[in-house]
Amino acid sequence: MMSSPLLNLVLFLLGGALAAAVFWPGQGLFARGRRHRSLASRVALEDALKHIYNHEVREDTCTLASVAGALEISTSRAVTLIGRMQSRGLVRIVDGRILLAEEGRRYALEVVRAHRLWERYLADETGVDPVEWHTRAEKQEHALTLDEANALAERLGNPRFDPHGDPIPAADGTVGGDTPLPLTVLQPGERAIVTHLEDEPPVVFAQIIALGIYVGMEVRMDARTEQRVVFDADGRKIVLAPLLAGNISIRRLEGASDTARETATLAALEPGQSADVVRVSPACIGLERRRLMDLGIVPGTRVMYERRGLTGGLSAYRVRGTLIALREEQARLIGVTGVTAARAAAGNHQ
Amino acid sequence: MSNIRNKTLDSPPAACAGCQHHTGNLVKLGVNMDRFDYVVALAGNPNTGKSTVFNSITGLKQHTGNWPGKTVARAEGGFALGDRRFKLVDLPGTYSLLSTTVDEEIARNFILFARPDVTVVVVDASHLERNLNLVLQVLEITDRAVVCLNLVDEAKRHGRTIDPRRLARDLGVPVVATVARSRKGIEELLDTVAGVASGGIPCKPRRLERRSRASERVVGEMTATIEQAFPGLSNARWLSLRLLDGDVHVEEALRSGELVEMGGGAPAARAVGAETASGGAVLRVLEQARSLRWEVGPEFQDSLVEDLYAEAARVADRATIVDGERPAFDLDRAIDNLVTSRWLGFPMMIGILMAVFWLTVSGANVPSGMLSTLLIDRLHPLLHAFGGSIHMPAWLAGFLFDGVYLATAWVVSVMLPPMAIFFPLFTLLEDFGYLARVSFNLDGMFKRAGAHGKQALTMSMGFGCNAAGVVATRIIDSPRERLIAIITNNFSLCNGRWPTQILIATIFIGALAPAHVAGLVSAGAVVVVALLGIGMTFVVSWLLSRTVLKGEASSFSLELPPYRPPRFWRTLYTSIIDRTLIVLWRAVVFAAPAGAVIWLSGNIHIGDASVAAHLVRAFDPVGLLIGLNGVILLAYVVAIPANEIIIPTILMLTAMAVGAAGVSAGAGVMFELDSTADVRQLLAAGGWTTLTGVNLMLFSLLHNPCSTTIFTIYKETRSHKWTAVASLLPVVMGFGVCFLVAQVWRLIAG
Repeated sequence: MMSSPLLNLVLFLLGGALAAAVFWPGQGLFARGRRHRSLASRVALEDALKHIYNHEVREDTCTLASVAGALEISTSRAVTLIGRMQSRGLVRIVDGRILLAEEGRRYALEVVRAHRLWERYLADETGVDPVEWHTRAEKQEHALTLDEANALAERLGNPRFDPHGDPIPAADGTVGGDTPLPLTVLQPGERAIVTHLEDEPPVVFAQIIALGIYVGMEVRMDARTEQRVVFDADGRKIVLAPLLAGNISIRRLEGASDTARETATLAALEPGQSADVVRVSPACIGLERRRLMDLGIVPGTRVMYERRGLTGGLSAYRVRGTLIALREEQARLIGVTGVTAARAAAGNHQ
Repeated sequence: MSNIRNKTLDSPPAACAGCQHHTGNLVKLGVNMDRFDYVVALAGNPNTGKSTVFNSITGLKQHTGNWPGKTVARAEGGFALGDRRFKLVDLPGTYSLLSTTVDEEIARNFILFARPDVTVVVVDASHLERNLNLVLQVLEITDRAVVCLNLVDEAKRHGRTIDPRRLARDLGVPVVATVARSRKGIEELLDTVAGVASGGIPCKPRRLERRSRASERVVGEMTATIEQAFPGLSNARWLSLRLLDGDVHVEEALRSGELVEMGGGAPAARAVGAETASGGAVLRVLEQARSLRWEVGPEFQDSLVEDLYAEAARVADRATIVDGERPAFDLDRAIDNLVTSRWLGFPMMIGILMAVFWLTVSGANVPSGMLSTLLIDRLHPLLHAFGGSIHMPAWLAGFLFDGVYLATAWVVSVMLPPMAIFFPLFTLLEDFGYLARVSFNLDGMFKRAGAHGKQALTMSMGFGCNAAGVVATRIIDSPRERLIAIITNNFSLCNGRWPTQILIATIFIGALAPAHVAGLVSAGAVVVVALLGIGMTFVVSWLLSRTVLKGEASSFSLELPPYRPPRFWRTLYTSIIDRTLIVLWRAVVFAAPAGAVIWLSGNIHIGDASVAAHLVRAFDPVGLLIGLNGVILLAYVVAIPANEIIIPTILMLTAMAVGAAGVSAGAGVMFELDSTADVRQLLAAGGWTTLTGVNLMLFSLLHNPCSTTIFTIYKETRSHKWTAVASLLPVVMGFGVCFLVAQVWRLIAG
């Protein structure tokens, strides 16, 4: 009954390794199996609808081959799929081009709406990494019912755009938003706001995110060549390959730059210093942004850095008479000006 | 709601209009409200003393804590003034009504749609600017409001005096200065509420003329459309802002005609709204809102909030008189300097928490002993005697008195005293404002583990009781971090497990040391186990946030409230009612059936042995492999309801297994021995070694939460999956750790 302890240990380690291989989240056999199974027929159908819809928005032609390519299925399976969609009255085929029928467009918009709402939810109310928004929403869009999507929209305050800047179709199927311009159209010296970051392909999106680019970022084109695009944003220079820059959409800004007034963020203050809030960075979204504003961190508010927490996580700021602790990542999102030079005397300032 | 409401709004009692009510007239009605004349809503920022105002009006004792976001559910109470009865509804504390958290939704919808006769907005006088933001928003949706300017004493302490009359003039509604803690100004507040409710005191609230720079054209267009559709509407601009923001509740109310009626729209327009909801006007407005929505800039919401704050700042400035002299000594700052100081901060924190535990463990001994004497030594034989006197069959008496009753009595006597000490102490620290500073100091560590700084609070709460710790995670507003806090709460060694730890440490660890340091060594061993639990909390939080609960540590804000002297008796009362009794009740509900199962397992025989004996034999191979034994595993299975009955169950099962009839009180009857020496002897007879003791201490830390906690986790997460994870993860870890320790131990010991 009592076998050798050494043998037990070895068996234990082997068992642990085996369990890890099977159940490791995302990579394990179990997760792979589930992913494989999830390619059920309804999912494929909805993905195909979305693919056709996206082509329609881009005024592009959609063919059998492109559907097969996008869904990573064989052409023969694509034929079956499109046939099924046609018999359900979701698509029409005109001269080899696949077009959405009325019913199909409605269905496609529902899926797109669920997808973008879920991304909005992930961005606003969870701490999920931006790189994961899209893949998670790809799964969730098939699971959300119409009622659930509506309830979610209501809870999020009926957002108009997803975190990538794409318009979220309204419950009645209307889609707004203007046609975006790629970043590459900007002339040196011109300013713009980033309105959209294309989330496909994920590798490119991950690179854009890694560079710290976000929707709402204010940029000024610095130089543009065949090989690279250089622009200023948030007080630093960002260098991009034109391929990446093409996946970033912008809206032109008129008038002189006002990035100059942004000299510092709250994170740069020393204990005892005060400053005036200029803006809360557009990178700060959702619950977090609302909470900061509720606490009175809005342009014009005077803030004093009062003290630091012991383990270095938090700094406490005096805001409108209240002591509020923020993490450094948040303090970095708050642009300030008029930093007092000297250590202000402690006390109830006005 | 309105169907049971006896509405007297249109006909105020003429004789009473404007007459003064005497203090003696106030009758606190608690929750006994079945008939009332007026509904009064209580709104306010978190941490402004809103709950205190509620309690002092209704005589109820809602728990108030010096921690923002305390009122998690809506509370109702009543009071009568003269011959009129009022129902008071305490809304969740919110910073604004604009954003879309659940709390804000509840508060906004109640004011908007339940249409209270009066809305009282409680305002913290020392943070007037920030609080006025909410007042201005409330005044946009209701005409009948009273501002309760609370904590004026605290403001004075901070060198600020607020002029209520000036404030009232600027806001257009009555303002009453109060100190709710000492009931100052409450009577005047109630008189004013009554006056506003009956229409005796007129309200002409200030409505903000916003100049939203970015979207002015769109808003103007929208407002014009609404005014055209419903002439005479008083809050057309607010309505257009809400519609542009896509507020479905407002859309719905516009469709049903409710909003137009409320805003005082012209009779003709009202008819349009009410009767032909499908008809032109409403549809036209909604249609336009839908298309204009896409035209307002992305900074639309932000600029609304900015305008509100600018306005709040102007109003606050005019009403505030700042004393020229700052107080020479700022107590809050001095305390903060101390508790966040580099050298004293940590020692103080550890010292204070240790003191709380010491007071709990040592202070509970005497009342626990008394309770156990009463319930087990006295009442238990009496019950048997009673059973004998009415000729109750022996099996029934055994089942009821030795099974159900004994388990319940055990849980009560062991659980009640430490909780009744721990929770009030903890609540005192919370009310004083110290626990927020603990979170402030420890956030760096939690951040590195991908968790939330407020988890420091729920973790320390878990040392009292894991179920209470799980409930406390409500203060964490990000769902991911909240789940991490819930799942890891079980690693806090709760009150129910301390006695096991102390007993086993004394027998097996203390005995290894020389006699004069034995006590110290065994106490040290318990501390090591508790620290191991804290370490596990961080490790598991880190692992979870890297795998299944992946995500960035979402940043958060923590308000450090001003220090407030805690009120001892009130705290004692509310924390015993709120926390202790609720948890105790749940434990009793689970313990009674467990007692029955324990007794039955010891008394139902299959073949040559009892069910318990069979089970012990079945569990023995696994138990021995991981350095425990079958008795311990079975004890942990049957004692899921409460960790408190682990030791009595183990003793009972061991006595049964070794056939030590002399010490046992009978088959299936739990018991405890007065001297540790006797326990040691019995356990040694049961084949226990030092390894068994060490592993029992580890397993007591790392095993599934008790059933009360599991149930609480389910109630809080509403998810079978996460409840299963939270329950199984620790027990799997426990098996793993015990197994590894056992193998390594045997390797080294040869």
